[in-house]
Amino acid sequence: MPNIKHIITDKLKSVNIDINGKSTNIIDAKIVEDIVIANKQVFLSIKADKRDIEKYDQIKTDAHNIITSIEGVEKVSISLTAHSSPSPAPHDSSKPQDEFLVKDVIAIASGKGGVGKSTTTINLAIAVSKLGFCVGILDADIYGPSVPKLVGVKKKPALSKNGKLEPISVHGISVMSIGFLVDEETPMIWRGPMVISAVNQLIKDVDWGDLDFLFIDMPPGTGDVQLTMAQRIAMSGAIIVSTPQDLALIDAKKGLVMFEKVNVPILGIIENMSSFICPHCNEETHIFGKKGAEKEARSQKVDFLGAVPLMSEIREASDLGEPFVIAEPESSVAQKYMEIAEGVVDRINKKDKTEKPKITIES
Amino acid sequence: MIKKQSSIPENLILSKNKRSFILAYNDKKYEYTSEYLRVNSPSAEVKGHSPEQRKIVSSKRSVLISNLELIGNYALRITFSDGHDTGIYSWSYLKELHSGYDKIWRKYISDLRKGGLSRD
Repeated sequence: MPNIKHIITDKLKSVNIDINGKSTNIIDAKIVEDIVIANKQVFLSIKADKRDIEKYDQIKTDAHNIITSIEGVEKVSISLTAHSSPSPAPHDSSKPQDEFLVKDVIAIASGKGGVGKSTTTINLAIAVSKLGFCVGILDADIYGPSVPKLVGVKKKPALSKNGKLEPISVHGISVMSIGFLVDEETPMIWRGPMVISAVNQLIKDVDWGDLDFLFIDMPPGTGDVQLTMAQRIAMSGAIIVSTPQDLALIDAKKGLVMFEKVNVPILGIIENMSSFICPHCNEETHIFGKKGAEKEARSQKVDFLGAVPLMSEIREASDLGEPFVIAEPESSVAQKYMEIAEGVVDRINKKDKTEKPKITIES
Repeated sequence: MIKKQSSIPENLILSKNKRSFILAYNDKKYEYTSEYLRVNSPSAEVKGHSPEQRKIVSSKRSVLISNLELIGNYALRITFSDGHDTGIYSWSYLKELHSGYDKIWRKYISDLRKGGLSRD
């Protein structure tokens, strides 16, 4: 069977486009990116000039029709990614890609799902904002974006004056979720490269304002989507959330290795559901074992940021869209989050965090 | 303690004629020529998927660097004037290229000769 990707590329050469007054086609203009074929489904993105979005909508439709007509293709998904200039001068793009004003991007990750990563992200982010920093959360969990629900937001973000997406302001922080871009019911089968365009776009095309910290709620796990995200987004550090269970810890370790491979410094591990506090007698039970994450952190030579117990109140508050540090600011759990937040800020401010090299041209 | 990422340079200075760049670390500077980088591209197009598949890239004496793009924290994508843009050079690979320069370059020249190829 001939290579479908080649057929697609070949056929897309019939889609014409004028760029800077010159007539060419979308392949030669190099605006087609990330062609991924999986199970008779074709995904690709087209770099679009946002000043001329109608033209690119037409191109998208044409490309869609052409690919659908290729034998062996059952479904086509094309996304337009915004670029203000489709053929940048060679050195324009050698500037660091992310010119947004976010000082530090911090990934919150977990080796597996169900460890309370999103709840931790929100409470930690709010705790950091209570320390006096400007904080945003980008919910990039494509498998189950739960941040909107956890902060009690249903409305979709609006467009701001400069044509960027306006993040939702809630509980003193700015929130944006990949869940706002897609229907809750739509299963998300995006592949790594497409997720990256979407996430990068969310970082760049959201009007975050001047943020000190942007927490990215990563999709759980250590698959190709997570790896690609860790590779492509310039992060100042990563935090791993784990339960003290052995199994969860094995996965947490994979997370550590993954970030290490791509040079993202590990800020530390947070142990969630550390113990169960009985709502009736306040007795503490170590359901998943005691101090598992702390020991694991020590054996991996990374910092242990703190332990948060499992309490039905945290879940109840979360389900009502009221993060626990807001609902019960005086509680010992909220204090715990505050301590963890101080630890995170402290580590980020240490000198030897990752600094991006500055690219300059000799004059 | 946060693990130190020592292989990330502080500055990257592209020469005016686009034939070389310098990676500046706080105490030292490493220089790389465009030809050396191009013929040692870590791309699968050059390296193949096993040592036997490795291709000898010839006639790159005059290749220029046309674009540089940072990839996350770990690498640099270099685009060359011959259109080659699939090489993702991790900071650690660039370090290896620098420390192994003599051996790598000598082998390249002898491989060229064996294959009846030239740098021009």
